[in-house]
Amino acid sequence: MESTDRFVPVRDGTTIMAVVYDGGVMLGADSRTTEGSLVYNRVSDKIEPIHKRIFCLRSGNSSHTQKIAQLCRLYVSQLGSELEQAPPVYSAAKIIQSFIYNYKSFLSAAMICAGWDPVKGPQIYTVPLGGTLVREKIATGGSGSAYMSGFVDTHFKEGMTRKECRDFMIQSISLAMFRDSSSGGIIRLVDITKDGVSREYISHDQLPLKQPLSLIH
Amino acid sequence: FCFFFFQAEDGIRDVERSRGLGDVYKRQGLRICYKMAGSGYDYDVSTLSPEGKIYQVEYAMKATENSSTIMGMVCKDGVLLGTEKLIVSEMMVSGSDRRVYSVTKQIGMVITGLLPDGRCLIDRAKEESASFQKQYGIPITGKVLADRIAQFMHMNTIYLWARPYGCNIIIAAFDEFGGPTLHLIDPSGQCFGYFGCAAGKGRQIARNEIEKLGAKNLTCKEAAFNMAKILHKCHEEMKEKKFELEMSWICPETGMTHQMLPKDMQKEMEIRAQETLEKEAMADVQSQIMKNINICLLYTSDAADDTPCVDLGGRRIIKKKK
Repeated sequence: MESTDRFVPVRDGTTIMAVVYDGGVMLGADSRTTEGSLVYNRVSDKIEPIHKRIFCLRSGNSSHTQKIAQLCRLYVSQLGSELEQAPPVYSAAKIIQSFIYNYKSFLSAAMICAGWDPVKGPQIYTVPLGGTLVREKIATGGSGSAYMSGFVDTHFKEGMTRKECRDFMIQSISLAMFRDSSSGGIIRLVDITKDGVSREYISHDQLPLKQPLSLIH
Repeated sequence: FCFFFFQAEDGIRDVERSRGLGDVYKRQGLRICYKMAGSGYDYDVSTLSPEGKIYQVEYAMKATENSSTIMGMVCKDGVLLGTEKLIVSEMMVSGSDRRVYSVTKQIGMVITGLLPDGRCLIDRAKEESASFQKQYGIPITGKVLADRIAQFMHMNTIYLWARPYGCNIIIAAFDEFGGPTLHLIDPSGQCFGYFGCAAGKGRQIARNEIEKLGAKNLTCKEAAFNMAKILHKCHEEMKEKKFELEMSWICPETGMTHQMLPKDMQKEMEIRAQETLEKEAMADVQSQIMKNINICLLYTSDAADDTPCVDLGGRRIIKKKK
């Protein structure tokens, strides 16, 4: 743990994903945080609560994304108490964007903000490294997302049921974790609907792809 | 905020000799008491009187009590704002004495009292709205803006170096969180939401009329005519002085944005309003006359019962046969 590894930034190598389905939005992430080649935390939680029905997914430098999420939480709670209503997901995303855009030369953060509000329903906003803000029906991020893009593009459809969405996400994230060395551990899922938020995790032995494919039989 | 400290000396003069003004505050107690009987507790806004009043704030409210009437109404499908303003000079370019302003696309504000104070508040409202939008990405809501402006006005009622804003303002807004809203803020910083409100000289008349009207069941177009009528009514005591109206609305006709009433529509409404008021005044006079007329009984002889009419020396009175 000495010398070279200490000065490598702690990163959420990551696979993160959010999907809007019929009735809500589901967020999923792996749980590996690395410090260089060291797996710093194999059960980390990359899904941060911002408000009662707003969450964000973190990828990139852990310290940067944690700080941004913390500040976003602060501003959104202020907004919520001024409005005296559920704050819009768009506002949370805008706050994240303003940090990532204005400090882009100092930060290495890409985040996905997703949630539900009474005006627009379930929404997902991506804020990648440069600080653009894009609203999407499905968003993926992190180093592992490249390995599942084929699968996602083939199998995603709008207006899935909750079960279809859950199975789709578990399958996609497993594929990414399978191939990306910076992603691994368990899959964490958060489901946000008008009626509430529920959390679960898929442990290693329940993953669809758990055995590394062996080259030598 | 910057503080200005007034220096007793600025270093280029000699030390001033005392002019014996040390007892100036003691002497002021002997002065003739003003109507409000502030007697010593009304010299600055940071003093509370023993009865628990802040006289400076009350004086500020007085500044608006004798000024132009402003009013607002929430209708079935939007909000209306209006004010009547005396034409100060025939030489002034019409429309240059603005009282109703758009703060954002969907928020409007009307001021009364000390107008420069009011314009300062409108600038502040614009700044608040812009910074809110920049930070949160959504347009500011009527309630949040009203709260912030009220806080801002209130701040001027607690510091020694400031004086209260001498104006009442009404903020009309439409947003997806609260629908159409109306807030009235007074110089003390008190802010309440209303369905209908008024301030200024004619506020009593206006408030009574608004209550009678029940604007919640009228569309903006229908209510606008009534507002013109009410504003004309408020002005009746000062009939000789020329005045004009400024009215604005947020309604489906404007796409729920804040716009001034179209000039020709406003003119037409004002003419109709004046005619209606005159008719009502005539009707009032007539009903007064009717009350004073005594019913006169006409006695005729039996012989006249058979004839369809009775001749009363030149006049023929035709009886209706039962």
